[in-house]
Amino acid sequence: MSRFIAASAIRGSHYIVDKAEKMLQDALEKLGPDKPIVFVDKEGAGTAYYFPTIYGYLGHKIETLGDMPPVIEQCKKLLSPVPNEHLWLPYLGETADAGVATFFAEELIKGIEFAKGEQPEVHKGYQFNGPISDAQTRSWGIKLVDGSMPGFAAIIGAAKSNEVAVKIVRELQSKGQLIFLSSMSNGRSVVDQLLEEGVELGYGTFTVPYGTDTESTVYAAGFAARAAFSFGNVAPGDFRRMLLYNKFRCFAFALVLGPMDDLKWATGAGAITYGFPAVCDTLVPQILPIGITKYEHVVSMPFDDIPGRDDLERAERLVEKCIEIRGIKIIIPKVPIPVAFGPAFKGEVVRRADLQTEFGSPKGNPCFEWLTMKGMDEIDDGQIAVVGPDLDDFEAGSNVPLGIVVEVAGRKMQKDFEPVLERQIHHFCNEAEGLQHQGQRDITWLRLSKRAFDSGFRLRHIGDIIHTNLHNMFGAIVDKVQVTLYTELDKVSQLIEQAREVYRERNARIAGLIDEAVDTFYSCTLCQSFAPTHVCVINPERVGLCGAYSWLDCRAAFEINPTGPNQPVLKGRCIDPEKDEWEGVNQFVYEHSQGSVDRFTIYSLMDAPMTTCGYCECVMIIIPEANGVMVVSRDDPSDTPSGMKFTTLMASVGGGRQNPGMMGHGKIYVVSDKFISVEGGLRRVVWMSKNLKEEFGDQINAKVEQEHGIPNFLDMVADGTIATTVDELLPFLEQKGHPALTMEPLI
Amino acid sequence: MAAVEMPVEKWTGKVHEVRLGGEGRKSIVVGGETTLPFLHFEGSIPNRIAVAVEVQDQEPSDWATSLVSAWGDVLRDPGAWAKKAAEFGADIIVLRLRSAHPEERNTGAAEAKAAVDKVLSAVDLPVIVLGPEVAEKDNEVLVAASEVARGSRVALGNCMEKNYRTIAATAIADGHVVIAKTPIEINLAKQLNILISDIGVPVDAILMDPTTGALGYGLEYSYSMMERLHLAALQGDAMTAMPMVCTVGEEAWRQKEARVAEGVPASWGDHEQRSLLWEEFTAISLINSGADIVVLRHPKAVEVVKATIDRLMSQV
Amino acid sequence: MALTGIEIYKLLPKTNCKECGFPTCLAFAMKVAAKAVEISLCPDLSEEAKQALEAAARPPIRLVTIGAGERKVEVGNEVVMFRHEKTFYHPPGLMFRVNDTAAPEEIAKLVEEVASYSVERVGMQLELDGFAIDNKSGDAAAFANCAELVESKTDLPLVLMSSDPACMSAALEKVATGKPLLYAANKDNSDKMVELALKYGCPLAVYASDGLSELAELTEKVSEGGVEDIVIDPGARDFAQSLTTLTQLRRLALRKSFRPLGYPIITFPGEAAASAEEEALLAGQQIAKYAGIIVLDRFSPSVAYPLLTLRLNIYIDPQKPIQMTPGVYQIGAPKETSPLCVTTNFSLTYFSVAGELESSAWASWLLVCDTEGLSVLTSWAAGKFDAEKIAKSVKEFDVAKNISHRSLVLLGKVAVLRGELEEELPDWKIMVGPLEAMDIGGYLKQHWTA
Repeated sequence: MSRFIAASAIRGSHYIVDKAEKMLQDALEKLGPDKPIVFVDKEGAGTAYYFPTIYGYLGHKIETLGDMPPVIEQCKKLLSPVPNEHLWLPYLGETADAGVATFFAEELIKGIEFAKGEQPEVHKGYQFNGPISDAQTRSWGIKLVDGSMPGFAAIIGAAKSNEVAVKIVRELQSKGQLIFLSSMSNGRSVVDQLLEEGVELGYGTFTVPYGTDTESTVYAAGFAARAAFSFGNVAPGDFRRMLLYNKFRCFAFALVLGPMDDLKWATGAGAITYGFPAVCDTLVPQILPIGITKYEHVVSMPFDDIPGRDDLERAERLVEKCIEIRGIKIIIPKVPIPVAFGPAFKGEVVRRADLQTEFGSPKGNPCFEWLTMKGMDEIDDGQIAVVGPDLDDFEAGSNVPLGIVVEVAGRKMQKDFEPVLERQIHHFCNEAEGLQHQGQRDITWLRLSKRAFDSGFRLRHIGDIIHTNLHNMFGAIVDKVQVTLYTELDKVSQLIEQAREVYRERNARIAGLIDEAVDTFYSCTLCQSFAPTHVCVINPERVGLCGAYSWLDCRAAFEINPTGPNQPVLKGRCIDPEKDEWEGVNQFVYEHSQGSVDRFTIYSLMDAPMTTCGYCECVMIIIPEANGVMVVSRDDPSDTPSGMKFTTLMASVGGGRQNPGMMGHGKIYVVSDKFISVEGGLRRVVWMSKNLKEEFGDQINAKVEQEHGIPNFLDMVADGTIATTVDELLPFLEQKGHPALTMEPLI
Repeated sequence: MAAVEMPVEKWTGKVHEVRLGGEGRKSIVVGGETTLPFLHFEGSIPNRIAVAVEVQDQEPSDWATSLVSAWGDVLRDPGAWAKKAAEFGADIIVLRLRSAHPEERNTGAAEAKAAVDKVLSAVDLPVIVLGPEVAEKDNEVLVAASEVARGSRVALGNCMEKNYRTIAATAIADGHVVIAKTPIEINLAKQLNILISDIGVPVDAILMDPTTGALGYGLEYSYSMMERLHLAALQGDAMTAMPMVCTVGEEAWRQKEARVAEGVPASWGDHEQRSLLWEEFTAISLINSGADIVVLRHPKAVEVVKATIDRLMSQV
Repeated sequence: MALTGIEIYKLLPKTNCKECGFPTCLAFAMKVAAKAVEISLCPDLSEEAKQALEAAARPPIRLVTIGAGERKVEVGNEVVMFRHEKTFYHPPGLMFRVNDTAAPEEIAKLVEEVASYSVERVGMQLELDGFAIDNKSGDAAAFANCAELVESKTDLPLVLMSSDPACMSAALEKVATGKPLLYAANKDNSDKMVELALKYGCPLAVYASDGLSELAELTEKVSEGGVEDIVIDPGARDFAQSLTTLTQLRRLALRKSFRPLGYPIITFPGEAAASAEEEALLAGQQIAKYAGIIVLDRFSPSVAYPLLTLRLNIYIDPQKPIQMTPGVYQIGAPKETSPLCVTTNFSLTYFSVAGELESSAWASWLLVCDTEGLSVLTSWAAGKFDAEKIAKSVKEFDVAKNISHRSLVLLGKVAVLRGELEEELPDWKIMVGPLEAMDIGGYLKQHWTA
């Protein structure tokens, strides 16, 4: 806590409490203690919550002037001496108390003004709104809770110019923010600025002018307190819950325009105590650590130092920062492109005859997509740039190079989510009418139809598609998205090399991501609808048995949807390092299988293997006669030496039961280093579906050769064309000298 | 020969109790079970399973003639309809704001308020208000309904994945209960309950509708899903322990077996009895799998189902 | 404790002789572990192994056969309390009571009606299972004659209901070859009843209504007397009592492996019911909650149809959903300009689509493709619902012959098939319908113009 801020705020609180006390004495003398007071807006609509801020903190009801003195006493108890210039203390508690006292005093002052008939304020002939009525609080409260109104902003003071004031308000409105206006700086109020520019104010435009003094800012606190009563089930006086509600549920912040003074600091301290951070457009000490508010407390952005071409752009940045520090997530209702967008267009094919422009393709120009993570301050949300010629510059039907570089930033973004998000580009693009996307990474291939081009579709719209959808679907981890599209061959060729370097790093990272390196696995219970006791436990070295979910996918899915089917499974204490049995895993599986599975080893086929839902890519089963195991793929209709085809095996293994000696798994598991390691790994495999041998042959041969010095291992492994019964299998294995025959007995 | 020892399961969980009504109108509590349906010997079933009767805010144009004739003229007026339903023995009135559906009359907040007000003033029973199940329209009419019904602690439905926030928010503000509806899937049901709780709706103000399949039309899916939800609740999972509501009448009477009298196979038998049994079988099967409220349509079904519940509630 | 497939395999002869009907000992062991076949199918089992296996593999609820011939009823051998845990295997037999005091014409009429009753559902013919002849008269000859009369009219299984061994014996002389269930041995007549059951090789019901201990004592006595095929009647009659008692019996058998009560249960819902409706509802509860044989007092098609439907619902394997027969279905009375929609043959998908079309009053053609009973997305992901499959179904069922247009609406989240499908069906306009069934009506209203 800055001593400067503490000192200012405490000074401000002394001043305002003193002012309230004097006003109250005066009013009591003139109006008497029985003078009733009700807070109403300019239409006369009121509140049933007395002085809502005071009522929220203290549970104290003020109905007349005579109810006020105890609150003044309470304020005085909260005041502490102004910090000595040479004494350095944390001051946090003192400053927070000063903020609370300030809110109380400000609300009392407003109340006294009501008693005197001076509220809502009339200023230069303009009727201000005054406090918000209960009816309006309810209606907006619902919007704040359901997310259709992401938050509210209290603008305090006046902007650098009328133009900037209008821009700030428009930007906030475009982001769905409710806006409250109060106070002045240098004798000007933001309300004056907006009125001069003809901006309409009032409930209808979600922009409410409270008053020209700093004290009227307290109406925002009263609004928040009532939201907490109505929507947080917070009881008046239960201030702890009220503050928590405001911190976590009410996405409000203060935007302080123009120079600060002691009262503004004191009011700011009140806001911070409420959990509402402040952004100032002047140079002030910052309070960055996270604590009372969700992110930073006070952020200073001296207006003229904000990067930007002009004041308008600076205003835009300022608003962006506010949204960011309050952690407000923006939903963009419609993808801003000139063609239709939706799942209906996913399967659409753009044929050569309809082709306007093609990017990439196996024989064409290079084309790639690369999503990369940046720092929050390194990119601008929504910036979409096209570097090089746009579609108009190419003849219809041409093949063009394209580089799509997506930069994202987010407070919860992690490097490991890059590939997860990058893969979404495919899905997003395909939902646009007339845009067809295939492949990924450096084999991306896009086609755009003539109709889409004629409708006005240009390259930047690819950026819009990605920007909008990343926000809407991955808002939990993404706060900013910036897209650059490159179409010059030189540049694309140069960038594609950089991207390839990243793809290689990612591959290496995934290859290097070993079970031992993590303390958390992930569950997948997506299939419990038909296999109620099945729980997939997904570790870095084994994908989910449907093949669709890797450990990284699950981790991202959990961040995006913390209540979804992918939950973290803490490994806990190790029970058996060789079989990789963990206390935490056992407990998780027990709880989530409705008590039907109590033990679960990660690496063994014979002892407590993973259960199977009924939708696996492969089934593995022992062939006792050969002392080995066989692996059959879903795509293989062949008979197998187990006496059962894939479908029969699937039916036996599925349904969430544990079957030692038998297990479903994803096909890529066959090249995992942990492939049934307890039973001896790949050397145990005596039969494997032909399609798997073809797909993973090189990798399997290389692994077995490297680990066991056996070259061309797969030549020793039978498939459906070699053996479909044990009687055919055994002579084949004998002839080839398969290692399983001489390994330690499986049973 | 040793005496047979009765197996008694030791459940650790309990279905949440949810109260509807009160403040000058009758109140009803549902839920609270600490055992499987009607196994009185091993736990308690403190509250009777409730029978609700569906009333619509406009005269139904597509109802089977036997239903229409059972109700008569009251179908034109939700207030009179609700009153008659109360006479037939309804424990709860369900008001379906069907006219708000965009393909019906696309009515809005004002009409919804009027209909809710009519029902609330016609009967002193607890009330459930259901929207037309189109997310935006539900938000519009249920927010309005919530306001009129303030103080009557009604249940507002349905909160679905798309629109739970608005309805949950309005229910919190006005002190109502919400119904969380998900398509026959245990994890989705649980997830929605968590999301609604996260917004701030207390667990004693959430009912869930795991989606009803009628006899012959997916009954077995609902049946098993509800058994699983109920078991999970008894095993201590608080987020699957919301009392369950089943829209039995609506689903049963959609089916050909209940609706159609002519041109069906002779083996379907007498239409009157078959259609009633279609509704009653669906109701009793789901009550036996854990339903706490069944919403019915035919007055005779109300009578029979209530009598059956009485018999199931009686301790052996 | 149940043995795993591997543990069973270890006890098998490992000869892969195939005599059991399975290609390998391992495949057989897996089936035994899943309690899908009896260990006795293995011809070369050592005595020692046999004992170990039978003890472990003996079904907790004995499988009992009633009747002989094609329409015999097999009940018991259930392995779970809740159908979602695995499945319920043997649907309860629905039998109708015939009183030997009734007039022969009346009896003949009832038998004729019940025996010929058949109703079609999702491509299956559902039928009733038999008759219970009740010795109301107490007279041996009347009982025997009645049994003989019923048997002459039907080959459905019978239950002979008499507590008098002499009457039972008289009836058995006439109808024993049909292997009827004898109902019932009680504490007074059990020796004689056991004798009869052994003599004629019939299953025997055991009745004791004074508590399960008494019932267990009696079944042990009967079993010691040599009768293995036992059906039990604990005397529970009304809704709550039936639910409680039958649940306790199922739990004792499954959870406690309590052999003396590990038998199928017979119930008489009519005895506690004042009307056909009540009887039907109680029978419905007993279908779901643990009855093996249900004897009904009142027959009518309007009761039989919902009961059979419920039984089908409850006993369908939850892991193998009901499949619709692939083909073109008419919803309402479609014309040649009516919409054509396409979906999978997963029953629930079909029901929700057909239900929505019907309730939104869109007479239409619904093409149901064979996806082996998988839902839209699952079958698409499994490669069982692709453009090729749809195109093949369009041709196979000659969809075009009914309609004047060439527009096809794809339902569910499979818009991705559109491109390929346009190639497979070049003359057709492929429309992408809504994601959820509930939006079909609105979608057609907005987009359908044929």
